[in-house]
Amino acid sequence: MTADERALRVLYARWLDRASKAGFALCLCAFIVYAGGLLPSYLAAAELPRYWGMSVSRFVAVTNMPHGWGWLRFLGHGDMLNLGAVALLALVTPICYARIVPRLLAERDWLQAALAAAQLAVLAAAASGLLAGPG
Amino acid sequence: MDAAALPWWIWPIALFAVSFAIGIVAVLAGVGGGVLFVPIVGGLFPFHLDFVRGAGLMFALAGTLAAGPPLLRAGMASLRLVMPLALVGSIGSFAGALVGLSLRVELLQTLLGILILGITVLIWRTRAADRPDVGIDALAAFLRLEGEFVDPAAGVKIDWRTHRTLLGLAAFGAIGFIGGIFGLGAGFANVPALNLLMSAPLKVAVGSSGLLISVINSSAAWVYLERGALLPLIVVPAILGVMLGSRLGARLLGTTPAPVVRRLVIVVMLLAGLRALSRGLGVWA
Repeated sequence: MTADERALRVLYARWLDRASKAGFALCLCAFIVYAGGLLPSYLAAAELPRYWGMSVSRFVAVTNMPHGWGWLRFLGHGDMLNLGAVALLALVTPICYARIVPRLLAERDWLQAALAAAQLAVLAAAASGLLAGPG
Repeated sequence: MDAAALPWWIWPIALFAVSFAIGIVAVLAGVGGGVLFVPIVGGLFPFHLDFVRGAGLMFALAGTLAAGPPLLRAGMASLRLVMPLALVGSIGSFAGALVGLSLRVELLQTLLGILILGITVLIWRTRAADRPDVGIDALAAFLRLEGEFVDPAAGVKIDWRTHRTLLGLAAFGAIGFIGGIFGLGAGFANVPALNLLMSAPLKVAVGSSGLLISVINSSAAWVYLERGALLPLIVVPAILGVMLGSRLGARLLGTTPAPVVRRLVIVVMLLAGLRALSRGLGVWA
């Protein structure tokens, strides 16, 4: 069986619209908090020019910045809060895919459901850092 | 002028302004903004290319997330077409991001320069194909890569189907890999691959390309985020700038001579490509 393509598109579009608007709004709010100095920074913005010319592996080593998912423990800092907001934008696609999988399963569109599940697995693998090895 | 002597806040403001301008020009010229963002910011700003590529991915992702809903509702982006291609592209992009973050910056700059010059030639030479009436191949039939949409300009319903599906899947694996390495959205390659190679109608190709970028870039973005290559002070001004610039660009679309903008983009890309190449080869550090 195949799912109704138009209904699926509309469902995906609705969630894409909501999730991306929420992501952008959070990004803007978090940046105002960060740039306005309303929260302390893990690494002060004024310090960044000393480090932003370094490769990321050297940057992480020199500044002792949390990498992987370590930043989640420091969301009380403006820069880490911003990173969380940026991560939400990267979560928009998985959210939309996760929303259409139940619809595809309900309509017994096994092929599309398998493709969507495989896509979610790839995104989860990328986000997990499991295959990335040491930075 | 010594860049290190400037106050830190100059850079995010300048980045916002550049991203805003790229957002306008990219819409008017019909190219993805990432292909302008990475070489321009990589060449003119003091940030390491790792952070520029991370920001470039988010820059392209933000633009396509915002554009996705109307394209889907209008039927110009096809989920059925996007899902298998995005899956292969995401795997390529994931691998590309891992490879890109392990390469030396001089090699990356050189390869980026060559790539940008190649894309410039591609944009200059490529013309959209009149869609031939193609027969669907076995793999496309299995994946049901066909559909219909109503072209509002022509006022007609167009039934479409694709062919050369295996080649198309291979092309999107390669496009994702290159996009992951260099932090590009790769719309420059998506549209020709969909339109010229797989024979999707141009409007479906353009609409689906945006959705493809949003899925494929998410995969590489997670790698860059996990490695610590997304700096909010670089990423957020870029995202906000391109969002506002794209909106203005869309408004100017009807009144601006697109061929002039397109030629301007070709010149800018040529300069940005030469700049990246010269930095990579150590000719102009």
